[in-house]
Amino acid sequence: MLKYIISSLCFVLISFYALAQNDSISQDSIKYQNKYGLRVGVDLGKIARHFIEDDYTGFEINADYRLTRDLYVTGEIGTEEKTISNDYLNSTAKGNYIKGGIDYNMYQNWYGQDNLIYCGLRVGFGSFTQTLNEHTIYDLNSTSWGQYTNTESKEFDGLTAIWAELIFGIKAQTFNNLYVGVNIQFKKRLTETEPDNFENIYIPGFGRTFDSGSFGIGFGYNISYLIPLYKKDK
Amino acid sequence: MKKTIALVLFCSILWCCEKDDICEEGAAITPQLIITFYDNTNPTEKKDVENFIVYGVNDNNEAVLLTTTSITTTDSIAAPLRTDSDITKLVFHKNIENSDFETGNYDIVQVSYSRQDVYISRACGYVQNFTELNTSLETDLDNWISSTEIINTSIENETSAHVKIYH
Repeated sequence: MLKYIISSLCFVLISFYALAQNDSISQDSIKYQNKYGLRVGVDLGKIARHFIEDDYTGFEINADYRLTRDLYVTGEIGTEEKTISNDYLNSTAKGNYIKGGIDYNMYQNWYGQDNLIYCGLRVGFGSFTQTLNEHTIYDLNSTSWGQYTNTESKEFDGLTAIWAELIFGIKAQTFNNLYVGVNIQFKKRLTETEPDNFENIYIPGFGRTFDSGSFGIGFGYNISYLIPLYKKDK
Repeated sequence: MKKTIALVLFCSILWCCEKDDICEEGAAITPQLIITFYDNTNPTEKKDVENFIVYGVNDNNEAVLLTTTSITTTDSIAAPLRTDSDITKLVFHKNIENSDFETGNYDIVQVSYSRQDVYISRACGYVQNFTELNTSLETDLDNWISSTEIINTSIENETSAHVKIYH
């Protein structure tokens, strides 16, 4: 977890540095045109987690397409597998997800810049299976007969979930057309299929679920490349 | 910009805390078997069993002391059932003198049931409920128990007795 936070810090710093760098670009008399195109990237955070955490595998491709000066249509598609265990439960969630929505750039770029501080909305859909690998019976009187752990695994498949996301993030251009970004996603489950006599502990794309409600949280650490298609004054 | 970074960091810290993983007592329990003792000659009246303890017998025929019970004079007891087996063997031992288990009279009752795992929460996982409860008294030379009666074939809570024992 600590490594994760440190890696996220590094990303924030790199992005910040990139923004600062671009601030110093001097103005010239050439009329600047905004680049419009398709930006395609991957979530490095998910790849990093695969190496940091033993029980996680994930991959996400994201893309956005610029509609106007400040508005982008966006989409993410990904896959995740996560095992969560505690004293009484050990379960694995595995599946795919797709998200779609819009980003709005709130950052007033200086001349020649192309950075984003954005907020956005997403709707996500996840399709997954959950496997209860083993469970230990919760029994206050287990000191008498001993704790019993049932190691018979049970698979709950055909599970789905739909959620909405509010996303805040930055995307900073580092080199020509290459962007790094971080974002935070606040999520709320709208519907989900609950397994019988169990619950969705982790939902691919949504992340960990909590007892306290249908809310969730996620982070993205992206690197992306802009494929410029055309230029416009605005 | 700085605010965004602060927000991201703040939420990263929040994310580390997983209080949902701590199972707090009281949510739900794996219920114990509740047994009440009645007078054989007057079946509506409860009757105390004197200097009495209940303990278990495991698969190797060794006695297993139940942490919830001690030698006492009582008309009802609670005994935990095995969560790893469909059969729990219980020994009902009365008239124990000076905590000497060589003394007194004991009867063995075999309790059989079917186990049902019931999901409680991510922190506590599953508890077990028991259904199709059945009891059989092992006959010996001097049974102090005359008969057993099932009141409730399913054990889902500890609020009322599941088995009556007449003596």
